[in-house]
Amino acid sequence: MTATSSSSSPGGGDHDGAELSARIERRWATLSVAIVVLFTAVAAFAGIHQAVMPQARVETINPTTLHLSGEFVESNLGSAVESDGSVTVRAIAQQYSFVPQCLVVPTDTPITIRATSPDVVHGLIIMGTNVNTMLVPGYISSLPMRFDRPGEHLMPCQEYCGVGHEGMWAKVKVIDKAAFHKLAADKRRLSCVDE
Amino acid sequence: MSPTPSPSSPQASPRADNWHTRAIGVTVLAFVVSAVVGFVALPLAQPDLKLKDVWDAICSAAGVASRPTAEKPIEPDFKVSSVVLTPDLLNLEDAQSIGRGATLAHQCAICHGPAGISRADSPNLTGQYASVVYKELKDFKTGARVNAVMTPFALVLSEQDMIDIAAYYAYLPRLPSPRADGTPPPRIVANGDPMRGIAPCGACHGELDNKRGSPRIDGQPAQYILSQLQAFASGERRNDISQQMRTIARQMTPSEMEAAARYYSGESR
Amino acid sequence: MLTSKRLILAHFWLAFIVFGVALLLGAWQMLVRSPLVPWISNPEWYYRSLTAHGTVMGYAFPTLIAMGFGYAISESALGQPLVGRRWAWLGFGLIVVGAVMALVPVALGLASVLYTFYPPMIGSPFYYIGVVLVVVGSWIWVALMSINLAIWKRANPGKPVPLAMFANVAGSYLWAWTAVGAALELLLQIIPVALELSSTIDAGLARVFFSWTLHAIVYFWLFPTYIAYYTIVPRAIGGKVYSDTMARIAFVLFLVVSMPIGIHHSFMDPEVGAGFKFLHSAFTALVALPTLITVFTICASVEIAARLRGGRGLFGWVTALPWSNPIMLAVAFSFVMLGFGGAGGLINMNYQFDATIHNTQWITGHFHLIFGGAIVIMYFAIAYDLWPHLTGRTLASLRLMRLQLWLWFIGMIVTTFPWHWVGILGMPRRMAYFDYTNPALAVDAFSVILSVIGGFILVVSGILFFVVLLRGQTAPQTDSGPYRFATAVHPPVTVPAALNGYALWVGLMIGLTITNYGYPIAQLALRPGTAVPAVYVGGQR
Repeated sequence: MTATSSSSSPGGGDHDGAELSARIERRWATLSVAIVVLFTAVAAFAGIHQAVMPQARVETINPTTLHLSGEFVESNLGSAVESDGSVTVRAIAQQYSFVPQCLVVPTDTPITIRATSPDVVHGLIIMGTNVNTMLVPGYISSLPMRFDRPGEHLMPCQEYCGVGHEGMWAKVKVIDKAAFHKLAADKRRLSCVDE
Repeated sequence: MSPTPSPSSPQASPRADNWHTRAIGVTVLAFVVSAVVGFVALPLAQPDLKLKDVWDAICSAAGVASRPTAEKPIEPDFKVSSVVLTPDLLNLEDAQSIGRGATLAHQCAICHGPAGISRADSPNLTGQYASVVYKELKDFKTGARVNAVMTPFALVLSEQDMIDIAAYYAYLPRLPSPRADGTPPPRIVANGDPMRGIAPCGACHGELDNKRGSPRIDGQPAQYILSQLQAFASGERRNDISQQMRTIARQMTPSEMEAAARYYSGESR
Repeated sequence: MLTSKRLILAHFWLAFIVFGVALLLGAWQMLVRSPLVPWISNPEWYYRSLTAHGTVMGYAFPTLIAMGFGYAISESALGQPLVGRRWAWLGFGLIVVGAVMALVPVALGLASVLYTFYPPMIGSPFYYIGVVLVVVGSWIWVALMSINLAIWKRANPGKPVPLAMFANVAGSYLWAWTAVGAALELLLQIIPVALELSSTIDAGLARVFFSWTLHAIVYFWLFPTYIAYYTIVPRAIGGKVYSDTMARIAFVLFLVVSMPIGIHHSFMDPEVGAGFKFLHSAFTALVALPTLITVFTICASVEIAARLRGGRGLFGWVTALPWSNPIMLAVAFSFVMLGFGGAGGLINMNYQFDATIHNTQWITGHFHLIFGGAIVIMYFAIAYDLWPHLTGRTLASLRLMRLQLWLWFIGMIVTTFPWHWVGILGMPRRMAYFDYTNPALAVDAFSVILSVIGGFILVVSGILFFVVLLRGQTAPQTDSGPYRFATAVHPPVTVPAALNGYALWVGLMIGLTITNYGYPIAQLALRPGTAVPAVYVGGQR
């Protein structure tokens, strides 16, 4: 990468020097392209091996009537066990709270979180994980997640949503799979807001 | 600003063509390869997507929108507020509406005071946001909020009656601050408590900003504020849209509720 | 040949004054949300300050630098007085009026929506109209740069356009096209709602429009810095530009690939299809190319200077560089920060990595390192280099300049490295305060305090910068001679037409905008039922 010989006669403008510097440049340009291709290939590879992929389908919803009908009515929020054993968590983010404010999910289970906003743009990040999405009014955010270990995570709103933004924090409790299913036997929608 | 090949250099023209061909070629190639990977290869490589065919893959990757098709939700076993809050909800520029509201408001004076200032621990309605008065009346009428005194009054009000009453009270002057000495707010009011998901009260209730449908609570009777906080916390009152207030009240301690109620009512400690 | 000195000085002074104010606001913000002080009693003040800081640093400061520097380049590189000076003053006036109009409602708390606007939150219409005026003022500059180059080209047919001017006009075209996204968002969506002509707004569409501006604007900020790398640094340290052609290629590449990549800001958004996210991710990787070329060419140019000064050995030449020269110091610091910032950028461009750090303090750290660090430190260098030619007085205090640059470099590192770290731990952005007593946030406390210290080092450096400039005002009048730019080792005799004009590259820029943005925008605009009610802020207190 050190342009040694061309710089020995820098002001010269001789033909050889020009040729040489052009050759070095071409080499560097090739290397640069290779770096770029490599990075893109890494992204594609990670995508194919499903490390994590962007939300595959765009879904819309009327944000003003979330409380009246559809999957985001308040009694339908929280964690639900699906027939295939997976878990769906539904939540809404509004100025300035998440509902439910405490999510409870099992370990070692494929989980889909579905969330949206009735008012302004919010976001959620489950701290200590790569679960991270924007919540845009008019659209449903849906993303897969899976937890290996029980534990508790904070889930703040990660996008400025107004002057109460700093107060918008929720929790995610990851509990043992068996304990979760025991709770789910009594209740069709689970959360930990009453604890 | 077009790079017209200069006539003085005869080589310029073929050279320029070379640049054009290569630059456009490389760009098109980069686009086509990225597009094929992004719109076809990557979606098809994800078995969870259950794509029908290549066309379905392209549509989903392009972001063609669908409405949710989830199974039937669990419906609430109680009446939720049916009010849809939008900026167009109420048009307040109407003097006639305010006049009609003033007449209708005579029946409210027993509890809420002749000028919207209560002497009976009922809410003071003078200067209240119109959307709030309208929403609460409507919720009493539909049964989303229940109160032995208010419900019978609200049941007989028409849609226009509720709009008029709301317009009238919004038109009256706002209460002066009950804290002439400028008492600083308790921490729960000024800052809330982030880790419990409690935002500063004023972010919605008017001192910092107003969230549509949230009442101004400054100057309301302490007993009223406290009883409503308790009712939200216990779930006795559930007409807050999507649990906005229940979520917060559930997290507040009894002493925090009292501190907030005392502060807003202006009662000295 | 600088004849419009007052015009250029006015741009630089206004730029640095608003920068100074915004710098103080930034440091204050870092302090109030740190564990060092009790929670701010009114969080709204924090967001007010944040809106002002972002608006000034994002729209006013770099735009004024690019404009002032652009006028200086046009006059000195082309060797002709600026054509349309009265129009230039009009553009400057629009920026002053726009900035005041935007910042008054912000100061009153009527537009705490942050410089990224975030509809459906809607603030005072004056805020948005002010921002539009700033952009319109800068578009006058774009037109003037284009006109001045055209006049020169007519007088000098077939001659290579001087590199500095070639890059300058490329930057102006990039800005003209980049600003269109936000302009469409403001004019078609936000301002009608702010004026209450309409009460609903499509937040998803607004986000896509804004992403059109939000990434390429960074390259507009970067242009003066890159121009300084290529055309000031080699001359200032006694070297030559390694390759004029590669420099041109780097600048036209920025023109082409800065634009079609903005949706990487929307990786985590639900309104954009996954295919477009990948497409933009791939093109984001391509935007590393011009920077990699620049790193090579500038390192080679610097090595030439070192060898001309008698430097030897594979790496030994580094010691032969004129380290006491502030420009040398600035470019070295800038490269170090660009290296770290660029590495962070390669992480952000990847959906899979971005998921971990999106909208955390990592992002704040990233763009402060690139913009506040690598870019702004070269703005200082440009000012130091240009000032004697504008004021006719030398800036004598080289020691003070070096101290200022050192402090800026150290301050930026101390500020941004901890930010990156707490971002990886998941600390969200843009909050007025945090509860550091919670165990999950207690681990961030130490890093946040370090950042505060970094912020104060930056304030000291900012003050020193003004001291250097003001002390220059008291120096005796001297003639600094004409303002010159670095020449290449092999100065171009003829340049391929494609690298002497912009038609091909502007064509590709617009073409790629259409391919990469056309469908998402059309689809969002036509999608029924996604307009949502506006949420007016600050109005109904």
